[in-house]
This record gives sequence, C-alpha cells and structure tokens, in this order.
Amino acid sequence: MEIEVISFGKIAELITTKKLILDFILDTDDFKKYLEETYPELNNIKYKLAVDKQIVQTNCKLKDGSVVAIMPPFSGG
Amino acid sequence: MTEKKIKNIFVNGAISSAFIADSIAKHSSKKEIGGHSIFLGQVRADEIEGRLVSAIDYTAYEDVALEQMHKIRAEIFEKYPLTCMHIYQSLGTIKAGEICLFVFTSSSHRKPAMHACEEVVERLKAELPIWGKEIFENGTHQWKENK
Repeated sequence: MEIEVISFGKIAELITTKKLILDFILDTDDFKKYLEETYPELNNIKYKLAVDKQIVQTNCKLKDGSVVAIMPPFSGG
Repeated sequence: MTEKKIKNIFVNGAISSAFIADSIAKHSSKKEIGGHSIFLGQVRADEIEGRLVSAIDYTAYEDVALEQMHKIRAEIFEKYPLTCMHIYQSLGTIKAGEICLFVFTSSSHRKPAMHACEEVVERLKAELPIWGKEIFENGTHQWKENK
C-alpha cells in the first residue's frame, strides 16, 4: 500500500521521502518498526505519529493512501 | 460553550506592539470586562556552547494544531468564566527580542483571566504541533525543545 509521509522539525532533515510503498505494514506499530530500521537515528529521538491528521495515542490501522505525519517533540510558544 | 468555527491562531512574522495595543483597545466597548491577562512570548538570545541565538524559525502542522487549539479553547471556556480569549502564534523567522506568542484572556474579575491565560500558554507549548528552529549568529541551527 501507498503511504504519504510528512515530517516536521529535525525529523524533516532526516526523512525527506514523501511517499512510501510498503507491503506487510498494517498498522502504526509496524510503521514505527520500519522507520526505526530504515532511519536508526530515530531511536534517539522521541516522536509521535499522526494518521490522517489524528495524533496517534495507541496502535492504529493504516490504509492505502493514509497520510502519516512524523512529529518530534513540540516547541511552540 | 463551544465555538463551532475553527479559529486561526497563526500569523506570519513577529507580533507587533501596535497589533497588541490595538487588540487591547478593541475591548473598551466590552464593558462587562473587569480584568485582562496577557502573556507575551519573546525570542530570547540564548547562548548555547558559545553560539548566540539570533532568531527562531517557527513551523507547524497547521491543520492539526488548529484542531487541537480548538479543543483546548472549548475546554478553557468550559472551565473558566471568560468573556473572551485571543491567541496568536508566529510562524516564520522571528528575531531575538521580537514577540512570537500573544495570549490574551478577559473576564469580569481578574482570577479567571489570569488562570486561563497561564493554562493556555502551558497547554499550547505542550500540545500543539509547532516547532522552533533556533538559528545562531554563525548560521548554524538547532531544534528547540519545550521543557
């Protein structure tokens, strides 16, 4: 399935890819595992995901065309 | 009390003192107000390992941040008897010394305005997907993290 990726802050400097074609990835836990294997630096960064603009609190299903945002710790204000 | 329309909080560039003064002036017609509380965030010229911060470049996941702020706004109005609340967060490059955050709450008596103002600032910093890139005078940068 095809996932659209948006990354922010320091993670945007690390992950520049916009689209991923991934098989065997069903949910956000799988996706995190994939990310951390592909970008080992992510193991040292706290980050959150948002799927289709919803911030992920617990593991959730991904579907073809999902937009996944990868967000480092916030620093607004 | 929930407001249905999602309000924009983002402004491009620094928040000017004229804009702040104008916001205050606009409230003179709301005669039920007895107290305002205002928080202004200013870009600090931090020195980190010998490098001086000259500006912060702000970016946000805007849709999600506005959605989140909408929720916070409703919860704050639920919790405190406020007359009104205005929030402005800068995006883009804000130089040291300039204002990047303006939170303005008003109520009949002082305490709700003061408590709501503090709570909004804390929640905005913790819960809104906004990122600040600290730009040093020598052109290098690092990503800010809220404590």
